[in-house]
Amino acid sequence: MNQTDFRKDIMPVLFLTIVVCIAVIALTVVDGITGEKIAENDRQKTLEGLKEMFPEMDGFDMASDIDVFIIKIGDEVVGYAFNVTAQGYGGDIGLIVGIENTTLAEDDIILRGISITKHSETPALGAEIVKPYFKDQFEGLSASEVALTKDGGQIDAITGATISSSAVSNAVHDAIIEKAELIRTTILEVE
Amino acid sequence: MGDFSGNFKKGLIKSNPVLVLLLGLCPTLAVSTSLDNAFGMTAAVLFVLISANIIVSVIRKWTPDRVRIPVFIVVIASLVTIVDLTIQAFSPELSASLGIFIPLIVVNCIILGRAEAFASKNTILDSTADALGMGFGFGIAITIISFIRQLLGSGVLEAFGKKIVEVPGLVDNPMAIFLLPMGAFLVIGCLLATLRYTGVIANE
Repeated sequence: MNQTDFRKDIMPVLFLTIVVCIAVIALTVVDGITGEKIAENDRQKTLEGLKEMFPEMDGFDMASDIDVFIIKIGDEVVGYAFNVTAQGYGGDIGLIVGIENTTLAEDDIILRGISITKHSETPALGAEIVKPYFKDQFEGLSASEVALTKDGGQIDAITGATISSSAVSNAVHDAIIEKAELIRTTILEVE
Repeated sequence: MGDFSGNFKKGLIKSNPVLVLLLGLCPTLAVSTSLDNAFGMTAAVLFVLISANIIVSVIRKWTPDRVRIPVFIVVIASLVTIVDLTIQAFSPELSASLGIFIPLIVVNCIILGRAEAFASKNTILDSTADALGMGFGFGIAITIISFIRQLLGSGVLEAFGKKIVEVPGLVDNPMAIFLLPMGAFLVIGCLLATLRYTGVIANE
């Protein structure tokens, strides 16, 4: 192999490889510095959401096999909470939903509240889902009442944002029924 | 091309990346809903643009022509990821409102455009001047657009959590259309027309 071939054919490959290696090292270092902080921020956000719904709580257990937070005061279980993802108008809406500690049969589910952790809905329209006048409507409802008023439920939709409103209420409705069943079969039967 | 202040100044008005070259419109229009977003985006773009221009300029003598675009992309993408992780770690709120538009800086044509058109052919000093000018030019444009959209769309001007000015009457009945994507197009259209009509931007 002569000199020209090396410059023309091998050099570009070698150069790109070196650049990529340096980039990988740099990113690994940055990830090492920031990774822990980002995870901590996420934990903090979840904890704030839980505290908002269960202000009296002083701790929680994580039932990681079914992704449910068991909210406790001392040893007493006050309720359950779980993450729910709704398909909104502008992308995924992340929610934490809390329910009271009842028998959790389908007609005995009581919502404690909802807390929105992330969304990308339209400002001034869909983004109003984070406002108390919308999300506080969920407090104390039973599973069958969680639906928009036009569908026979108790939730007033936000003006101009029916899709965002129904996305949240449908996702909450489906999730509480599904999770209550899961909690009943796994956690309550064991205890 | 060896004139530092000349290279800096041309990005501000004469070849402003957003208002004249019409590059990088996607992030400009999408995040310009509040002054905070504008400042956050400007800081991110400035950092990536300056670092990318410097690195590309430093390695320009050794970069083989055939792989220069992949090399630029790797450099830019790494810098953007660094910015993204840093913002997520130290300012989760800003990260939530800038969202997908930080990762999208990778494909922002201002940055690749300056790397290819300027930094790969010029000295480190000139490339830094070019990046500063273009970055601040981007900042000026996105700040003006955000100013108009936030003022008309919410009736309140806020920056860094402080209220600057409140328009009576508009607060209770804001023109929310200006916060929507179509409002962004209306604002930039009227802005470009005004700047051309008044001669701030030269007509060709």
